[in-house]
Amino acid sequence: MARGPPVHKVWALIRASWLAASSYRLGIIFSFGSLIVSVIPIFFITGALQSTMANVIRGQGGQYFAFLVVGLITLNIVSSTIYALPGGLQGATSTGTLEALLATPTSVNALLVGLSGYEVLFSLIRGAVMLIAAALLGARVEWAQMGASVPIIALVVLSHLPIAIVTAAMVLAFRTRGPLPQLVLLASTFLGGVYYPTTVIPGWLESLSAFIPLTYGLAALRAVLLEGRPILSVWREIGILMAITAGTLVLSVVAFRAALGYARRVGNLAQY
Amino acid sequence: MTATAHGVTYHPAVRPGTSAVVLDGLTKSFTRQRGWRAVVTRQARELVRALSDVSCEVRSGEFFGLLGENGAGKTTLFKILATLVTPDAGSATVAAFDVRREPNRVREILAPVIADERSLNWRLSARENMRLFASLHGLRGADATRRIDELLALVNLVDAADRLVNGFSSGMKQRLLVARTLLARPRVLLLDEPTRSLDPISARQFRTFLRNEIAVAQGCTVLLATHNAEEAFELCDRVGVLHRGRLVAVGTTSELAREVGEDRFALWVRPADQQAIDALVARGVIRDAKPFVTDEQGWSRIDCDLRGGAEGAAAVVAYLTHTGVSVSRCEPVKLSLADLLERVLARHGAGAASA
Repeated sequence: MARGPPVHKVWALIRASWLAASSYRLGIIFSFGSLIVSVIPIFFITGALQSTMANVIRGQGGQYFAFLVVGLITLNIVSSTIYALPGGLQGATSTGTLEALLATPTSVNALLVGLSGYEVLFSLIRGAVMLIAAALLGARVEWAQMGASVPIIALVVLSHLPIAIVTAAMVLAFRTRGPLPQLVLLASTFLGGVYYPTTVIPGWLESLSAFIPLTYGLAALRAVLLEGRPILSVWREIGILMAITAGTLVLSVVAFRAALGYARRVGNLAQY
Repeated sequence: MTATAHGVTYHPAVRPGTSAVVLDGLTKSFTRQRGWRAVVTRQARELVRALSDVSCEVRSGEFFGLLGENGAGKTTLFKILATLVTPDAGSATVAAFDVRREPNRVREILAPVIADERSLNWRLSARENMRLFASLHGLRGADATRRIDELLALVNLVDAADRLVNGFSSGMKQRLLVARTLLARPRVLLLDEPTRSLDPISARQFRTFLRNEIAVAQGCTVLLATHNAEEAFELCDRVGVLHRGRLVAVGTTSELAREVGEDRFALWVRPADQQAIDALVARGVIRDAKPFVTDEQGWSRIDCDLRGGAEGAAAVVAYLTHTGVSVSRCEPVKLSLADLLERVLARHGAGAASA
């Protein structure tokens, strides 16, 4: 029996998740409908705050509506990245699918990516739809820079993958997500520059934002997508994101393998 | 690479006459979940022995039954073989591949049929469920389509192939689970209580399917865990009895059945002549005779072990008739798992029982 390349296995898992999700047609329609509707209040609120925020976001597009939409889209992608894997693992464990998946000659890495891939891809599509809706309402986006923003978004996803893997390890070993994902999301939301630039945060708190990957991701994304600057101009942010990803990804994979070994020893690998 | 014999395709490592599964001193304990009080007062963790020094060999092509009550260790043993649980001591090999050292090789040869219907994706059609697992087993394109069609036909689900699984009956889901497992052409199949959620008619059909299609036509080695003694005796070439983690008996179905009561019979007699029965016991023709149970028509039933099978039964009927006792019926009694375990444990000593 050929083991087959992991990419086909990952794709098969993502495809199956899509087919299952799309069988709930009304859910898909509501998901996109609510997204488009949610842009409207953001448009009015940011319009009212534009004169206040104009100065502090001058280097990041200057338009508060576009600034906030990019922040919210990225936060949503980060949230999906962090929760998709442990959520997928919890779902697969409680239904018994995990046992069946683990009994196939599929690498653990391929299973991890496959189980979380659909949620992350779906959040990217939702982000694109939200951006188009915002543009229709007047958000100033440099569309020519969309290509350059793709590797930055990929890095944002990758830099948060270790959090997802460690959380999945917690789920595997102890059946709980633990506080890590909430802490990371909370810190990212308030210190990562989603609603306001990190420069307006009080000094002692601003230094904390330097440890948050989203800070660099958003700074790079806004510079490229809203300011129209070339990707090379944000090499520092990209470099930091790559360093964070490389360092934490290795540690998280080690943690996950340890959790897998522990679950096999205590016998709760496929038990909820 | 595969080899062919008698029209059946074999994995090179699992050929007829070789050992499919070898267990040697397999031992596994789990820590019992402690209550809050025990955690606070730092009480020592309590270990529960799930498997204790289990040694056994299952030959290629064999239909092997693992019989035991709930908590006997059947599922733990299967999870070790499926590489989902690591043993504490001893070894388990599948086609000479060690489950601990070569889990990927083991997973290519052995497949557990996850009997839990929830392990199917209910929001996908049967075909899409199969397509997902075909990809995970490395099957693609036309090969995958051909294999899926072949297996859906084998389990008689062609007409329902494109329907969502959530509309399937339990029997259909069980058949789909088996088909899904067969995608990888496993040479060793693990079936953990596959008929537990089926009605008696569906269960019988499913057993026929397992015997004829999986064991005979596909040539798979099958390990069946069940607490249904009748099911084990109907399907299996050999049966192992697990009790509290110990393998207390292993034998061919006929050996074990004879040892523990294939010759258990029920006799309906009138009148209930205890002297005649005592005489038969004294002559060693029958033993372990239970007291009479009399119905409203005056017929009394007596259960006993009867030496000599059908011929012995004929002799007993002749003797009773000769002494003026009418016999309306004389038929073999199917043993329940409880009776079987009681008898096996009685024959294998208290040591096994107290393990």
